[in-house]
Amino acid sequence: MTLADLQITQAPGTVVAHLVGEIDMSNAEDLSAAVIAATPNDARGVVLDLSQVDYLDSAGIWVVHGMRTALQARGQGLVLVIPPRSPVHDTLRLSGAERPGEVVEDLDAALLAFGPSPAGDS
Amino acid sequence: MPETRQPGKRTPILGSGQIAVEVTDSISEASEQVRSSYRFSDPALSELPIDELLDELLNRVQEALEVDTVAVLLRDQGAQQLVARAAKGIEEEVDRGVRIPIGRGFAGRIAAERVAIYISDVDHADILNPILREKGIRSLLGVPLIVEGELIGVMHVGSLRPRTFGANDVAVLQLAAARAGPAIERATMSARLEHEHSVSIALQRSLLPQRLGELIGVTVASRYLPAREEVGGDWFDVIELPRGRVGLVIGDVVGHGVAAASLMGRLRTALHSYAIESHGPGRTLELVDRFVQSLNEPAMATAAYAVFDTYALTVQYATAGHLPPVVIGPSGARVIDVTPAPPLGAFPYGRCPEHEFSLQADDILFLYTDGLVERRGIPLTDGIESLVTAVQGTTSPEEACLAAVADLVPLTGLRDDVAIVALQNSPIPAELHLHLSAEPRTLAKVRRIIRRWLVERGAGQNEVAEVTIAISEACANAIEHAYPPAPASFELRASCENDEITVTVRDTGQWRPPRGENRGRGLSIMSAAMDHVEVDRGDHGTDVVMRRRLSHR
Repeated sequence: MTLADLQITQAPGTVVAHLVGEIDMSNAEDLSAAVIAATPNDARGVVLDLSQVDYLDSAGIWVVHGMRTALQARGQGLVLVIPPRSPVHDTLRLSGAERPGEVVEDLDAALLAFGPSPAGDS
Repeated sequence: MPETRQPGKRTPILGSGQIAVEVTDSISEASEQVRSSYRFSDPALSELPIDELLDELLNRVQEALEVDTVAVLLRDQGAQQLVARAAKGIEEEVDRGVRIPIGRGFAGRIAAERVAIYISDVDHADILNPILREKGIRSLLGVPLIVEGELIGVMHVGSLRPRTFGANDVAVLQLAAARAGPAIERATMSARLEHEHSVSIALQRSLLPQRLGELIGVTVASRYLPAREEVGGDWFDVIELPRGRVGLVIGDVVGHGVAAASLMGRLRTALHSYAIESHGPGRTLELVDRFVQSLNEPAMATAAYAVFDTYALTVQYATAGHLPPVVIGPSGARVIDVTPAPPLGAFPYGRCPEHEFSLQADDILFLYTDGLVERRGIPLTDGIESLVTAVQGTTSPEEACLAAVADLVPLTGLRDDVAIVALQNSPIPAELHLHLSAEPRTLAKVRRIIRRWLVERGAGQNEVAEVTIAISEACANAIEHAYPPAPASFELRASCENDEITVTVRDTGQWRPPRGENRGRGLSIMSAAMDHVEVDRGDHGTDVVMRRRLSHR
């Protein structure tokens, strides 16, 4: 059984990364690298859909912070989809950590996060 | 021309038990033929495998004709060539893989013209095979090997000194050829069939799971028994699923032979693929049915797919025309009554309902194919009843497989192949003490063990999630303390007394202070998730002791 799966979809100006499964020190770096690699320079930002993640530990939080830093350096934003009462929500609560990016409760809200599309995109 | 031919019309159809006897010059020669007749029609010969048969035959020919060399070349159907298959005195023929085109040279002409050919002086004859000259053979005599009108090869003998092979010698060699032909044909055929059978079985085995992964909280055993004659299409599978679930598959493709085995491989892959997409058992079988319908070839199979939830201790079960499962428990073995949906590929858009039953601690879910219980002239229900009796009282999947095979598989072999897969609900010990390898992939395994252990201690859903992350973080620290490349391990102990759980993670590495603002979060998580956390950094390693009282919420 693979621990996690990653599926990348595109929305206008936005890369949506859907993560499913468990994220820990064994796979967090690889997943993050794959998301960054799938993000073109002209994307305004990345939506990290963590709503179907069953487990996320401190290594995962650390890597999400790293992703935010890497994207910021390219002028790109990071929005996290974390529903209330989800496992990722619980980890963040337990860690007392600053949220590693803008957090929204569902995917629809996340897709609005990067503002209306520029005229060229529509 | 130093060559004598025995014309074709006088060496008529050999084989079918007929012997072409040319001339019988004297009583003594006639009695030599009678002796040879016994020599070559020994029934023991026909029982031998091909290599031994040829070896024995060549010895007997060499002895009967007092010749220096004997060789058998067999026809290669595809290439229209003769291939040296066995030889005495000129073993090089076989070693060098001599091939003679039919129609050319000494042996090639015997094959093409189907006549006996005698060469009195090799030096002055059309010989293609250089080995014959290299060996210093002076005279040669050869006859065709013919079975039921088909040429299967050539047998020839040679002499190192000039020799006149007379009509009597020809008759003896023809007699040997007539006796040997069918035996060679039979042995070749059986060697080929045996080869094909073993290839089919190898193919089939390669389509079955080679190794079952390390599963947590269950014990699994399986069997695949090939049929006596033909390869079949039975399969089983064990699939590890997220959230503490394990899938168990059994299936049987209708039909036999390589086609059935190949379809089995495709169905196993299809089912496995749909299953890891987290479709339930009913939907998984429906999707496999659609897959079968899409193949555009006549294909049908029965299958059952069970998903055991190691937290809820329930089995979700769906069956497409497959035989009912058996559950073996402390109170006995019983058949679970589940109404099967139609077989896969039977009807378009078939629906496959799910059934649920419980599988308590130590219960064994036993799935099998019909080859195990179906016997000619015995009702199927009696066969299943015999299975229930056989596995009654067994206490492990391995034992259940052994008992079923011992009681139900006939000594004479199986007419149909058999697949068995059995899964036991094996609780995690209340006192956990694990030695774990200090590598990141260990964490997922630890979490699977701990979650099941916590569920068994009665922990509530939140408690399971929080304690699991605390323990996983402590183990992650232990793994970070281990310096590569030296292989290292760490210890995990967990116990529960009066609703308070105590967990100890002990490593032998160096404690490293948290690096950066995020690195310290492991410790914060542990402290937030547990009532009490104590980190003891000694000279020889670090102990992390954590406690939490369970309120079962």
